[in-house]
Amino acid sequence: MSEAKALHERKHIWRDEFVLIVSMIVFVGVVYALDNAIQPVFTPNALLLTGAFLSLVPAGIWLVFFYLQDRAEPEPKGFVLAIFALGALLAAAIGIPLLENVFRVSNWIYRDTLAAILGGILVVGFTQEYLKYAAVRYSIYNSDEFDEPTDGVIYATAAGLGYATVLNINFVVANGGVDLGAGVIRIAVVALAQASFAGVTGYFLGRAKFESEPIWWMPLGITLAATFNGLFHWLLGVLTRPTITLTGATSNVWMGLVLAALVAFGTTGVILWLVRQNLKALQAGK
Amino acid sequence: MTAKQHSLGDRYAEVTVILVTVVALLVGWLYKSGVENASIPFSADGVSAQAPSGWLSVSPGGDELLRTRNINSRGFGATYVVRKIAIAEGVSASEMAGVVALEHANNLTAFRMLDQREVKVNGQTAFEISYVFVEANPDVTQTQIPSVVRGTDYVFLKGGHAIVVSFQSDEKNYNADLDRFHRFLQSLRF
Repeated sequence: MSEAKALHERKHIWRDEFVLIVSMIVFVGVVYALDNAIQPVFTPNALLLTGAFLSLVPAGIWLVFFYLQDRAEPEPKGFVLAIFALGALLAAAIGIPLLENVFRVSNWIYRDTLAAILGGILVVGFTQEYLKYAAVRYSIYNSDEFDEPTDGVIYATAAGLGYATVLNINFVVANGGVDLGAGVIRIAVVALAQASFAGVTGYFLGRAKFESEPIWWMPLGITLAATFNGLFHWLLGVLTRPTITLTGATSNVWMGLVLAALVAFGTTGVILWLVRQNLKALQAGK
Repeated sequence: MTAKQHSLGDRYAEVTVILVTVVALLVGWLYKSGVENASIPFSADGVSAQAPSGWLSVSPGGDELLRTRNINSRGFGATYVVRKIAIAEGVSASEMAGVVALEHANNLTAFRMLDQREVKVNGQTAFEISYVFVEANPDVTQTQIPSVVRGTDYVFLKGGHAIVVSFQSDEKNYNADLDRFHRFLQSLRF
């Protein structure tokens, strides 16, 4: 590959990320409006299948836009799909069993604020972010197809969306289906969050492959992603905590979507800025 | 773009990522153990113990001195109950255990006795009964499948009273919750 290739910015990647965020908001709005307008009555199996289908939508949207845009220097479709599948597989085989059966996080993580933050970062954050990192680091990372720093963001986002898809399907199956309105918001929140934090790891991975970074570079990336992950879920819990009144309990799930969208916009914006700074530095040094 | 040569530094960086993750998980595990094992002193009617902290305790009533439940558990939350029951002179622990089992059979859905035996707890003789039942939630709006619950009761005799310590937990979580209960049992004084 030529050095020149590294010094251009694949703008469509950022478009894809922003399209994913906006599409998630539109997707939630459409499903929510349809649910309110039609008020469909599902059989248990239909509810389960609908929930599982909706869980696949975020990844589907991102992949479709990615393929439509990625024409100039296309990433192999099979590889991106394989990383998505690997992220999903690691979530199902290691991530969820480790957190639910070994650490049994739901038993203690909601005890108090400190438990939510420390447990969210040290246990949930590190487990999820390391597995997403591993999905890229031990597969495509060593391949010639990983030929630009921004590929780290692409493949890590694919792994993050795979992870999110399995988290959502697991949630749907564990609850025997979900209420369409609240369920679709949760699906969008999980997808946006997992993709955003994976993007952070991906940025660090991309730089680690093509530049001589210090030994603490990649651990810093994982730690940052895990910290954002833990803090996000704590804040999500605070913002969507049910309010109990004399007329019943209400939970503002929309605040979760607002938070996830803000975090996703913020993370993507910061990574975009960092990549541009890096490109400028490379161009200056060339 | 040409990737830089894979150096020894890269290998170290890779190992460092694993080490940082393992250390984070180990610290997380220690913290989890600390939170799960945190306890608050409980004392009532001559019976004291270190009860789990952060669980939901119900105001005692009747012969119950303590009823505390882990509301964050999945399914049927782990529940500890301590009762102090007046008994007639000459009643043995095994006979009292039979009475307790009969009560369970009357109150619990699909109650089945799994095992009963004499054991030593903190150097004291107790009668242990193990059983299983199906959680019967009277709320008809509940849409969840009822949980299968496993329980273990320890019956101690002390000066004209039987101290009955019960542990009930969702069958799926029973083994994982048992260690915590054993610590509670070890802390029991009367």
